[in-house]
Amino acid sequence: MWCPYSCRSAEHAISRRSFLGGVSAGLGAVSGFAGRPMTSLAGELGRQGSQVLMVFLHGGSSQLETWDPKPGTATGGPFRSIETSIPGVRISELLPKTAQQMHHLSLLRSLNTAEDDHGKGSYLMHTGRRQAPGQEHPHLGSLAARFLAPERDPLPGYIHVTAGGGGLSGKDAAFLGPKYGALTLGDGKPPANTERPGSVEEAEDLARHQLRMQLDHRFDLRRRTAETEAYTTSYEQALQLMERREVFDVSKEPARDQERYGSHDFGRHCLLGRRLLEAGATFVKVSHSNYDTHNENFDFHLEQVGEFDVSFAALLSDLADRGMLDRTLVVVMSEFGRTPRINQYYGRDHWSTAWSVALTGAGLKRGVVRGETNADGTEVVDGQATGQDLFHTYLRAVGIDPVVDEFAVNGRDFQIADPASFAIEDLLA
Amino acid sequence: MRTRLLGILAGPVALVLATTARAEGPPRPLHERVDRLIEDATDGPMAAPATDGEFLRRACLDLAGMVPTAEEAKDFLDDPSPSKRERLVDRLLEGPGYARRMQYAFDAMLMERRGDRHVPRADWEAFLRRSFAENTPYDEFARRILSADGSGPAADRAPAKFVLDREADPDLLTRDIGRMFLGRDLQCAQCHDHPLVEDYFQAHYYGIRAFLDRSSLFTDPASQVVMLAEKAEGETTFQSVFKTSVTHSTAPRVLDGPPVVEPELPEDRRYEVAPEKDKVVRTIPTFSRYEHLAPALANDGVDAFSRNIANRLWALLMKRGLYHPLDLDHSSNPPSHPEALELLAGWFRDHEYDVKAFLRELALTRAYQRSSEIPPGADPEAAEPSRFAVANLEPLSPEQLAWSLMQGLGVVAAHREDAEADLDHLDAALCDRCKADEGREARRPWRVEEAVHARLSGNVDAFVRYFGASEGQPDDSVEADVHQALFLSNGPQVQSWLDPSGSNLTARLAGIGDPAGVAEPLYLAILSRRPSAGERAEVLGYLERRGADQRADAVRELAWALITSSEFRFNY
Repeated sequence: MWCPYSCRSAEHAISRRSFLGGVSAGLGAVSGFAGRPMTSLAGELGRQGSQVLMVFLHGGSSQLETWDPKPGTATGGPFRSIETSIPGVRISELLPKTAQQMHHLSLLRSLNTAEDDHGKGSYLMHTGRRQAPGQEHPHLGSLAARFLAPERDPLPGYIHVTAGGGGLSGKDAAFLGPKYGALTLGDGKPPANTERPGSVEEAEDLARHQLRMQLDHRFDLRRRTAETEAYTTSYEQALQLMERREVFDVSKEPARDQERYGSHDFGRHCLLGRRLLEAGATFVKVSHSNYDTHNENFDFHLEQVGEFDVSFAALLSDLADRGMLDRTLVVVMSEFGRTPRINQYYGRDHWSTAWSVALTGAGLKRGVVRGETNADGTEVVDGQATGQDLFHTYLRAVGIDPVVDEFAVNGRDFQIADPASFAIEDLLA
Repeated sequence: MRTRLLGILAGPVALVLATTARAEGPPRPLHERVDRLIEDATDGPMAAPATDGEFLRRACLDLAGMVPTAEEAKDFLDDPSPSKRERLVDRLLEGPGYARRMQYAFDAMLMERRGDRHVPRADWEAFLRRSFAENTPYDEFARRILSADGSGPAADRAPAKFVLDREADPDLLTRDIGRMFLGRDLQCAQCHDHPLVEDYFQAHYYGIRAFLDRSSLFTDPASQVVMLAEKAEGETTFQSVFKTSVTHSTAPRVLDGPPVVEPELPEDRRYEVAPEKDKVVRTIPTFSRYEHLAPALANDGVDAFSRNIANRLWALLMKRGLYHPLDLDHSSNPPSHPEALELLAGWFRDHEYDVKAFLRELALTRAYQRSSEIPPGADPEAAEPSRFAVANLEPLSPEQLAWSLMQGLGVVAAHREDAEADLDHLDAALCDRCKADEGREARRPWRVEEAVHARLSGNVDAFVRYFGASEGQPDDSVEADVHQALFLSNGPQVQSWLDPSGSNLTARLAGIGDPAGVAEPLYLAILSRRPSAGERAEVLGYLERRGADQRADAVRELAWALITSSEFRFNY
C-alpha cells in the first residue's frame, strides 16, 4: 500500500515531542490565524537574500528536443545535437544560445516522475509531493515566500509572470494561507490597486494614513496582538509597494535588453523576471506555453524552444554577469517530458519515465550533468531521481531544511518535503 | 418533543439512545453555569465588562453579520434599560440578518470556498439560510446534508453539495466529515494509527470510509444532472503501512460506535436498480451503506458529534474553541475547560440541538460580554486566548467586512430605501384580503433584507477573493497582506462607496455646516460608538485644516481612515 504521508516511525517519535511542545508553547501566542505558530520559526529559518527563478514550460516540453537529444536514433527526431560550452556535453540544436551558457547550467537527465497527467505532474513538480485527495501541499513559490522573503518585504513573496490572466491565487499556498499564494502578473502587467485613485492626491493619501495610524495606536494600546500588528504592517507595505510600482514596468529596461530578450511575450516576461529579481523579489516564476505537442511536435518545438532559447540564455547570462547566480536558484522544468516514440501525427505524447530538468545557481553545482538515459531515451540507466528528490534539492540549495517538521499547521505537523525522499547530493555544491 | 429520524438506525445504536436518560430542566440557566466553570478555572485578572458600544458591535457582527446602523447604535447607547443586551440578542436572533450570517458562516465552514461544481451555489445558500431561519435542529441539519444524494428534484438537491461538490471522493469526504462533523482530522490515520494522536485509529478512518466506498458520481444521461450512485458490493479493507502483512476489514461505523449491520441478501435481491450491461443506469442497492451514514453519525450516541458542534458554535462567538484547533479533538489536545465543554455539549443535546437557544445562552455569558482590553496593569498573559478572561479579537470575515463597509458608508441604507419603496409599490396593488394578512407585516423585514441582499451581494465576491481562504482551506488560515491593504486603499469598489453621492455617509457628512458636528455621526456610523473628546478634536482639527472648500475630500479621508483602522477591521 502506498502511503503519501510522513510515515517513518522514528521521525514521528521525534516530531511527537516537538508537536506536543509546539502546541503548549504555541498557545500563548496563537489566536485565530493558522499561520501564526510558524512566525517565530520563520525568523530562525530566515535566509534573507536567497532568491528563486523558476521557468515553467507548460504542457510538457520534450527532453529530446532540449536537454537530452538522441540524434540518429529511431526516437531522436529530425534535430541534431550541438556542442556546448562544456566540452563533451551536447544539447539540442534548438538551443544554440543556451548552449553557449551551458557552463552556468547543470542538467539532470535521469528524472522518472511516474506521473503522466498534466495536473498531477504539475502538482508533483511544484510541491514535491504526489497529489492525493483531501490534502494540499504548498508550492515551492509559497514556501519561498514563507521562509525566504523578509518579514516586511513590500514585494509579494511569490510572483508569477505569465501570458495569461493576472490576479491573486492563494491556492498554491495550501495551509500556509493565501498570503503566501501567487501574485500573477497577467501579460506582465503590474498588480491591481497599486495606483492611487485619481481623486486622492499623494499628500491627502499620506494624511489619511497618518489618521489611520493614530486610530490604530489608540486601539492597540491595550490590545496589541500579532494580528493587529500584521494588519498595520500591511499598510506600510502597501505604501512602499505603491512607491515602487515601477518595479513591475518592464518598459523601463533599456531598449537594447528588450531586443536581446526577444520581442515576444516570453522575452518581455523573462526581462521582467530579471527586473523583479534585481529589485529583490524572492520567488519569480515565468511560464512559457504551450509544449503539449501531441501533433507536430517538431514544428512546435522549433518555434517554442527557439523563443525559450533566446530569452532564457539572455536571462541566465545576465544573472551570471551580475553575480546574482550565487544567491539565485534557477530551475527550468515542466510537468513531464515527451515520449521517445513519435506518434502518427508527428507528435510526442506524455512521458514521465525518463526526462530532464535544467537547474543552477544558489547552492548548486554549475556546469555538471547528472544521470543518463539509454541510447534511444526510453529509460534511465544511471542516477534515477524523482520529483520528490528534486524538491529536496531545491530546498537544500536555498537553505531551507527539507525535513523540518517541528512546527504545526493548524495543529497538524508538517514536514516541508516528502520524508521518503532525499536531496540529490551530486547536484549540491 | 420533535420526531427523530431513527427509523433506519441499526439496532444497537437505537438501544443506546433509548436508554439515555434525558436530564430534567436545568436548575440555573446555562450561561450562569458556564461562567462559573470558566471563572473558577481562572486565577488571574479578568477584563472588565465590554462597554455597550463594544457589546453592540460584537453581537451585531456575530449574530447579524454586519455592524449596526448609526441610528441603531445611538438608540442602543441611549437606552437606559438594564435588560437591553438581552433584548438585543433576542432581536438579532429573530431577524433576517441571523439566517444570512449563519448561511455565510456555515458555507465557509462546510464548503471552504470551493468552486461550484454540481450543485448551484444559490440553491445551497437558500438551503442554509432556510435551515437557520427555521431553526432546524442541528442534528437534523447535519443528517440532511449527509443523507442527500442529489437524486431528488432540483430544490431538494441543495444539501448534496457537500458530497457532490467533493466529487464523492471517499478519502476527501472521510477527512472532511471527520473534521467538520466530529472535530477529528483523521487524515493521518489513513495509512496507520495516528502517529501523534493516541486516540485516532486507522479503523476510525476506514469505518467512516466504509459508508462511502460503494458510492460514486453518476451523471444522468438525459438531464446531465450529477448525483450519487451506489453499488451493493465492495468491502472496505486496509493495512497499516507499518505492517502490510495483516489486512483488516471493517463494516461502516462511526468512530467506536457499533458497526452497521448489513443484511445477508441473495444475489438477485441486492439491487432495487441493478447494473445493466451496456446501459448507463444509476444503480440503487437494496441495502444502502450511504443511507446509514447520517443517522449513525448525527446521533446522540456519538459524543464527538455534539462536542464538535458545541465547540464550533462556542468558537463562532468566542473566537476560539474550548479545544483548539476545531479539527483536533483528542486526548493530547484537551479542552481548556473540559467541564464547560461537557456541560455545553450535553445541554445542546438535551435541548434538541436548538441552535438559536444555544447561541442565546452563549451570548448572555459574562465570558462573551467581557472587554477585549487587557485590564490595566495586568500581564499580557491575561489575554491568552484559551483563558476566556479577556475577549478575543478576530478579523472580520470577508462577508462581514464587505457588508459592514456598505452599512457603515450608507450603501445599505440607500438600497434599503429603494427596496422599501419597491415593496410599498407592490403592496399598494394588493387586494384587501392580502393586505389584511397578518403574517405579511412580520415577513416584511425578511423581504426587505432579501431585496437588499440581492442588490448588493455581488459586491461581496471581491472581498472573498482578497480576504477569504483559498479553496479547501479553513478561513482562519488568512493573514493580513499587502494586497488587502491595496484593495481597501486604492480599489475602485471601496473608493466609489467613499465618494460622496446621494445620501451616503460622506455626502451627509459633507453637508453638515458646523465641522464640530461631523465627528459624532461619523463615529456612530462606522465604529458604532461616540467619539472621545480627543477624537472629536482630531476630526475637527482635520476638517479645519482642510478648510470649508475641501470639506468633501476631508470627510472622505476621515471615513477612509476609520474603515481601515484596526478597530473596524477586527471583531473585538
